[in-house]
Amino acid sequence: MSSVSMAVDLGGIHMENPVCTASGTFGNGWQFEGFYDVSELGAITCKGVSAEPWEGNPAPRMAELPSAVMNSVGLQNPGVRAFVRDYGDYLAGLSARGCKVICQVAGHSVEEYVRALELFEELAPFAAGFELNISCPNIAKGGSAMGSTPAGAAEVTRACRPHTSRPLLVKLAPTNVGEIARAVEAEGADALTLINTIPGMAIDVRTRRSRVSRPTAGVSGPAIHAIAVRMVWEAARAVSIPINGVGGVTSGEDAAEFILAGATAVSVGTANLYDPMAAPRVLRELEQWAEGQGVTDINELIGAFEC
Amino acid sequence: MTPESKARAFDYVVREVAPVAEGIHRMVMGVPAELAGALAPGMFVNVEVPHNPAHLTRVPLSFASADAAAGELELVFAAVGDATRRLAALRPGEGATVLGPLGNGWWLPEGAGAGSRVVVVAGGVGLPPVVAAARMARSAGCAVDAVVGAQSASRLWRGGVDELERLGCSVTVTTDDGTCGLRGFTTDALLGLMGEHAYAACLTCGPNVMMAGVARIAREGGTFCEASLERMMTCGFGACSTCNVALARGGYASCCMDGPVFDAEEVAW
Repeated sequence: MSSVSMAVDLGGIHMENPVCTASGTFGNGWQFEGFYDVSELGAITCKGVSAEPWEGNPAPRMAELPSAVMNSVGLQNPGVRAFVRDYGDYLAGLSARGCKVICQVAGHSVEEYVRALELFEELAPFAAGFELNISCPNIAKGGSAMGSTPAGAAEVTRACRPHTSRPLLVKLAPTNVGEIARAVEAEGADALTLINTIPGMAIDVRTRRSRVSRPTAGVSGPAIHAIAVRMVWEAARAVSIPINGVGGVTSGEDAAEFILAGATAVSVGTANLYDPMAAPRVLRELEQWAEGQGVTDINELIGAFEC
Repeated sequence: MTPESKARAFDYVVREVAPVAEGIHRMVMGVPAELAGALAPGMFVNVEVPHNPAHLTRVPLSFASADAAAGELELVFAAVGDATRRLAALRPGEGATVLGPLGNGWWLPEGAGAGSRVVVVAGGVGLPPVVAAARMARSAGCAVDAVVGAQSASRLWRGGVDELERLGCSVTVTTDDGTCGLRGFTTDALLGLMGEHAYAACLTCGPNVMMAGVARIAREGGTFCEASLERMMTCGFGACSTCNVALARGGYASCCMDGPVFDAEEVAW
């Protein structure tokens, strides 16, 4: 057992430790139970779900890049009702085992976000909180198309806020994070998740076509970690609500950087896909780091970056 | 009901690796009996390849044989990119981790049992899982005709052809340039066979365009057809939704969770 208290409070989500998994990189949790006991984690964030089913984008949806991957999944999901029908029992059990379940809400319009959240509120008692995905770069409407300006981000948050009393997180795009963070905090967001994937391009120069099915797609993985740490630091200086840091975490050291930059929780993302045991290892390494820092509570290290 | 994942992580150690044709390598890896025994023909594994930390993703590979008693997997793959080239360059004794068992394997439809006749069609490095399919069909008592295609003799995994013959299959080899067997495509040979025999099933793996042709010929002949598909794949165990397969009825299936072997009629070719 660690001598450091690892429990954190992410905007009202009481997590036994700060390690979470990023939406879209962890299925809905059950896929990892053969690799380790998922309830070791502080929280998981489920795949983004909309009110009605979405087909997602055509193949190919993935390209390999140096120290990164690029994806263009486009939030394929079965809709809230089928999501709860198929995974609700597992997620309720996971929650009972002590791991918080964060459900991610997707939409093409303000109305669709509200509708999905209303359905979740009604059908998903296992959800400890909800994360508004206003930062997916792989859909034509909604996602980052709405969340990349302070006004757009504020509008979605304002519309959704009255529809749940549970903690509401907003996942930010990697752009103008300080200003957008302030805008959603002012509309009642309880916490922020950042960053989503960074839009990029990869061109097959022989065919002159994109290596995925759309011209641009979201870049994730270790290559974007330093950018994500900087953005978490900027957001942490801009707002007082807690932050869930995401971007290229593969080790406890990467997670510790987010904590020092001001994150309360840290999500493991792309690493889950190629190293499915990554998240519990990150947790163990993070505990060791905190012990080495001579603290008794990980909360003492949040934002403890010295410059 | 939430499904239960069968994916686990295991260590592997390279026992043998050697080129078996131009750009094609055969590897025998030592794996725990638990993995080898859980792999049915047509399933796949996702292999970690050491020595380049900047290359994140694993290499998803189907296998030619899995031997639980020997704790061995036989993989045959084309070295087409950085990861597969590094895999081919590993030395005996080296290793890393492998995820499995992944996906769903071949199945024999009703009527494809003892006394029936099945045809298997392989193109290029689609041959390894087709060898596994032929072994399964022979074990079930089927007569098996095999069509094996390659661009040229130099790119043909002859060990696969030998194994099909050892299993008692009637093998037809085709090459695009005529340097081995019949000059032409596997689909030409399949059309000929379909004219001679009634098949209870057609099982195929190879380039997409070839499998589309095989599926069309099978459909026109009223023969049930299964195809093992390849997609750009990240996790291999249902977490990322990147390996989507367009379906004839609309929407997508997951190659790693719903496949990689599909009823060819379900696929939007």
